[in-house]
Amino acid sequence: MQPALHVHNLHKTFRNGHNLKAVDGVSFDIFPGEIFSLLGPNGAGKTTTISMLSALLRPDLPSDGASEIAILGHSLQHEPRAAKALLGVVPQDIALYEDLSARENLTFWGKMYGLRGAALVQRVDEVLELIGLTERAKDRIGKYSGGMKRRVNIGVALLHRPKVIYMDEPTVGIDPQSRRSILDGVMALKHQGMTVLYTTHYMEEAQELSDRIAIMDHGKLIASGTHAELIQLVGQKARLILTVNVPTDHILQDWQAVPGVFSVVAADDTLTLLVDDTNRVLPQLFEIAASRGVRITSVDIQEPDLESVFLHLTGRALRDA
Amino acid sequence: MKSLAIAFKDLTHSFRSTFAIIFMFGVPLMVTGLFYLMFGSLSADESGFNLPPTKVVIVNLDAGDPQAGQLGQIMVAALQSEDFASLMDISLSPDSASARQLVDTQQAGVAVIIPADFSTSFTDSQSATRLELYSDPTLTIGPGIVRSIISQFTDQFSGIKITVALALKQAESGQIEYAQIESIIADYMAASQASADPQSLIESVTPTAAPQQNFMLTLIGPIMAGMLIFYAFYTGVNTAMTILKESEDGTLSHLFTTPTSQTEILGGKWIAVGLTVLVQVVTLLLVSRLIFQIEWGALPVVALVALAIVCSASAFGVFICSWLKNTRQGGLIFGGVLTVTGMVGMMDVFTGSPGDPRFGFWPLITPQGWASRGLLASMNGAAVSQVLPYVLALVAMSIIFFIIGVLRFQKRYA
Repeated sequence: MQPALHVHNLHKTFRNGHNLKAVDGVSFDIFPGEIFSLLGPNGAGKTTTISMLSALLRPDLPSDGASEIAILGHSLQHEPRAAKALLGVVPQDIALYEDLSARENLTFWGKMYGLRGAALVQRVDEVLELIGLTERAKDRIGKYSGGMKRRVNIGVALLHRPKVIYMDEPTVGIDPQSRRSILDGVMALKHQGMTVLYTTHYMEEAQELSDRIAIMDHGKLIASGTHAELIQLVGQKARLILTVNVPTDHILQDWQAVPGVFSVVAADDTLTLLVDDTNRVLPQLFEIAASRGVRITSVDIQEPDLESVFLHLTGRALRDA
Repeated sequence: MKSLAIAFKDLTHSFRSTFAIIFMFGVPLMVTGLFYLMFGSLSADESGFNLPPTKVVIVNLDAGDPQAGQLGQIMVAALQSEDFASLMDISLSPDSASARQLVDTQQAGVAVIIPADFSTSFTDSQSATRLELYSDPTLTIGPGIVRSIISQFTDQFSGIKITVALALKQAESGQIEYAQIESIIADYMAASQASADPQSLIESVTPTAAPQQNFMLTLIGPIMAGMLIFYAFYTGVNTAMTILKESEDGTLSHLFTTPTSQTEILGGKWIAVGLTVLVQVVTLLLVSRLIFQIEWGALPVVALVALAIVCSASAFGVFICSWLKNTRQGGLIFGGVLTVTGMVGMMDVFTGSPGDPRFGFWPLITPQGWASRGLLASMNGAAVSQVLPYVLALVAMSIIFFIIGVLRFQKRYA
């Protein structure tokens, strides 16, 4: 099957004095109708990857062969117009004209995607209906709430009925209701047969939406697969989240030495441990804490999830990475 | 088509911005309007300085002289002639006290009191008399004019008196016959009567140098021209800066993700800059014509110059913005580059000496200087061939600015 999006060997280094390697040999394929999530902490290289896939950044020429980006067989480098015509992009930041109304914005962007005349008018009406802003179509974007702007931002990318849509952290900084609406919208796109590349640093979103997930860290894809496949990477390891009454460095090294503890991550007064057998490990942790005069104030035991996967693969917590 | 859609969107943006509207149209018209209000009252009929007539009250106490006649009456008649009607509003008073009273109560500006021995003093070479001018101390120009006119008369009468005295002396010394004195005096009196005609004293000259010498073109016209050019260049930079603003807002990046080429996107932005400046320049030309009655010149000439101004202001905007990293630097540009180039280019206009050659070539190192010279030439009735050097210079500058600016932007967004 021809992938909807074929990405091979992407590299990008920013030469701003530090030679920061933002993306390092990223490759993946997304097949038609899939929702594929790029999950990783802030600074993992997700937005840089999306920028290259959107033709906003030119990938570096890798030393180990050529890089390639193709949308339904159209090379982004060699057939940019044809490739972009199949693509809709929802940028991370709102990219709308605040002094134009929602209808004027959609009409303008529709023209940029090649729509004209009656077809454009009809499609703008459809998209306004889809994003639930028909009643406020004449209001200027500047008067909209953050959530409404996000919906228009997504609507712009849907105007030309793209085959592939990129959504770069579309739920950042919005209220829970708008977030729920966007997540439902993404699922609706999948049901319409659209291919979605979704980037997020929210584990729950990736888990809920995705057919497949790729975990990214320090510019590299460190794992990819379905949710179940990724969980298998950590086996039966559970996550223990313990809160203590003193600075965590009092006890960190002692707990790391306990048999059955695979990793310990400390942040403020909280320690996150990846362990293979909760029932066996937990009494030893309490015993060591008591001997050091440390009081454990809360315990949370979590079944294996993507957070555990990230912890397992990187030795760091996803949220705090 | 996509370029036009981008241009139309930018035009909508520009003309929905109150700030932009104020600076594009409001400020240039307002500044010119202030000058118009400050100086406009001095030019009610557009023919120059206009002073209301000074109220003059005359007291003629002259008793006359058998030989010299009624010189006081001659003077009164002359002052009452129509030729002085625009300068003096004459009335007569029977006595000097009443006349002074009228001046003291500011019902008259000047009282002219002709003494009783005014005529007699001209036949007696040894005697002297004094003509009194009693004037309102709060007035300056009016009494000065009256004094000047009276002096013309008294000088002529003094000439007659000197002639009579000289003829008598010559007769006494035998140079002429006494019998000739009468005819000499008669000839001189006839000549002085003729020269007492006010029209021979004051010649009213109407400027023949054409309408361009009128108040609007010599003061308000150049100021409006300067404002138009200054703010056209401001608009050029301000509109070109939308590309930096779009870059910061993320909409430019979003545009690059659509199936729209870089040439179409940047081309649309440049069209928007040109159209915005064009709308501004045409509007200012028309509105200032309607409000201030400014004659911009023959239509083909002013159209040619206006197009050259639009091209140069737009290209200059693109050029300047291509050197900016972000819109935060815009303040420095408006405050610095535009002010300096604008002031250098139009230093002759802003110092009230449009076209003064003492400023040399300095104004012409900036596009505003060429634009200013071209527009002023059009206002002074120049033909197309006469403004062509200015137009060609502006077009050449525009091409250079535009190429450099576009290349820099294309490199930036490659």
